[in-house]
Amino acid sequence: MATIAATMRFILIDKVVEIETGKRIKSVKSVSLAEEYLADHFPTFPVLPGVLLLEGLIESASWLVRATENFAHSMVLLEQARNVKYKSFLAPGSQIEYTVEAKAIEENVSSFTGAGVTDNEQIVEAKFGLRHFNLADKDSSLASVDAKIIDELKKRWKLLKK
Amino acid sequence: MTMNREQVLGQVQGVLVDALGVDDDEVKPESTLMGDLGAESIDFLDIVFRLEKAFGIKIPREELFPAETLMNNPEFVNNGKLTEKGLAELQSKMPHTDTTEFAKNPDMSKLGDLFTVGMIVNFVQSKLKAA
Amino acid sequence: MRWIWIDKFIEFKTGVSAVAVKNVTLAEEHLHDHFPGYPVMPESLCIEAMAQTAGILVGEAKNFEEKVILAKIKKAVFHDCIRPGDSLRLSAKIESIADEAASTTGTITCGDKLIAEIDLMFSHIDQNLAGKEFPEDNFVFTDMFKSLLQGSVLKAGNG
Repeated sequence: MATIAATMRFILIDKVVEIETGKRIKSVKSVSLAEEYLADHFPTFPVLPGVLLLEGLIESASWLVRATENFAHSMVLLEQARNVKYKSFLAPGSQIEYTVEAKAIEENVSSFTGAGVTDNEQIVEAKFGLRHFNLADKDSSLASVDAKIIDELKKRWKLLKK
Repeated sequence: MTMNREQVLGQVQGVLVDALGVDDDEVKPESTLMGDLGAESIDFLDIVFRLEKAFGIKIPREELFPAETLMNNPEFVNNGKLTEKGLAELQSKMPHTDTTEFAKNPDMSKLGDLFTVGMIVNFVQSKLKAA
Repeated sequence: MRWIWIDKFIEFKTGVSAVAVKNVTLAEEHLHDHFPGYPVMPESLCIEAMAQTAGILVGEAKNFEEKVILAKIKKAVFHDCIRPGDSLRLSAKIESIADEAASTTGTITCGDKLIAEIDLMFSHIDQNLAGKEFPEDNFVFTDMFKSLLQGSVLKAGNG
C-alpha cells in the first residue's frame, strides 16, 4: 500500500519531551516567522493564534491517549473545551512548553487540564475532553481506513517522541 | 427583586463555578477569587457580565473590581502599599467590603484577598436593594 | 494559506447578531493531516471560524476602533464531525458588551445538524492590558476581514 504523502501542515507541536502513560505529557513548540498564518495574524503584530495554542494542548493530549491505549482508535477528536484562557501572546522566536495532565482516560472519552508556558510566562490554560473511536464502529467497511490512519500516526509518533 | 442572602449566595456560586471552572464545594463564602479560585483579569470581566445577567443589574466594572485605577495612581499607591488617600479611595469604592484587616498592612499584593465570594454577595445585595 | 475561516456573511445586525458561512473543501491543506486517510475539520479551526464571525460582529459594533482579541473560550462543545463538502453556518450573538470586553454565544450547524455550541469572550486590548504597548493601527481588522462586510450585507440587516 502506497504511503500517503504527508504535507505536514497541521501539526502544532514539534516534540514530545516527556510522557507518563495514563497520566501526563509534555511537549514543546517553537514559533517561527515562517509559519504562514502569522502573515495574517497579525501583519504588524505576529502572534500564534489562540486556537492553535489550544490545538497544541489537544494534540499533546491526543498523543497521550494514543500511547496509553496503544493506538486502538484512529479518530481522537476534541469533544469539549471549557475555561480556555489566553493570558499572554506568543511571538516568533519563542518556544512554548505544553503540560497536559489526564483527569481520566476511558475507552472512548478522556478529560484533561493543560497549560502552556514560555520563559516562565503563562500563555494558555484549558480544561478539555476528547472522544476516541474507530470509523468501523459505525461502518465496518471503513476498517481499512482506520488501519491506514493508525499506521500514519504511528509513523508520526516516531518523529515526535524524543 | 427580593432575594435573601442564601439565594444570592447560591446564584453567585453558580456564576463562579461556570466562569472559573471550579467545583461547587470549592466556592465558599470566605474563598478568595484570585488566590483560592484562580480568577484573573479576563475572568473578572466574565464574572461581571454573568452577574449582570443573573441578577438583572448593571455593574460598571470599576465598582466591583476597582483595583486598576487605584494601582496606576501614584497618589494612592506608594512603594507597593496604599497611602492614606489610597485607602480612603478603596473604602469609598468598596463600601460592601470590610477593609479593617487590610488597612493594618495595605500591601498591594494582598489586595486580592479582599475579593472573596462573600464580598460579591454583599455587593450584589446592595445593588438589588438600590435597584 | 490565508488565516480566514469564514467565506461570507449572510446576515448582519449591528451590535446584535451575525450569520456567516464557510465551505469545507479538499483544497484546504491542513485537512490532509487531520487525519491522513479521513479528513475532518479540526475542532480548533471551527472555534476560529466562530471567533472570526463573532469578533467581526463585536468589532463592527465599535466601528473597528478597538483591537478585539479572543481572550477566553467559555465553552466549546462538539456534537458531530465536519467533512469536506460540508457547508457550515456560523451564527453568533452578542451577549454582553462593555468598553473593555464582550461576550458572545454561537452555534455552528450543517444543514439541520447541530455541529457545535461555542461561547467566547473578547478583550479590547487597548482598554485592558495596562502598560503593554501595541502598534497603533488596528492590526486585527485587516482589509481581508473588512471586505466581508462590503456591499449589501450590512444594509440588509439594518434596513
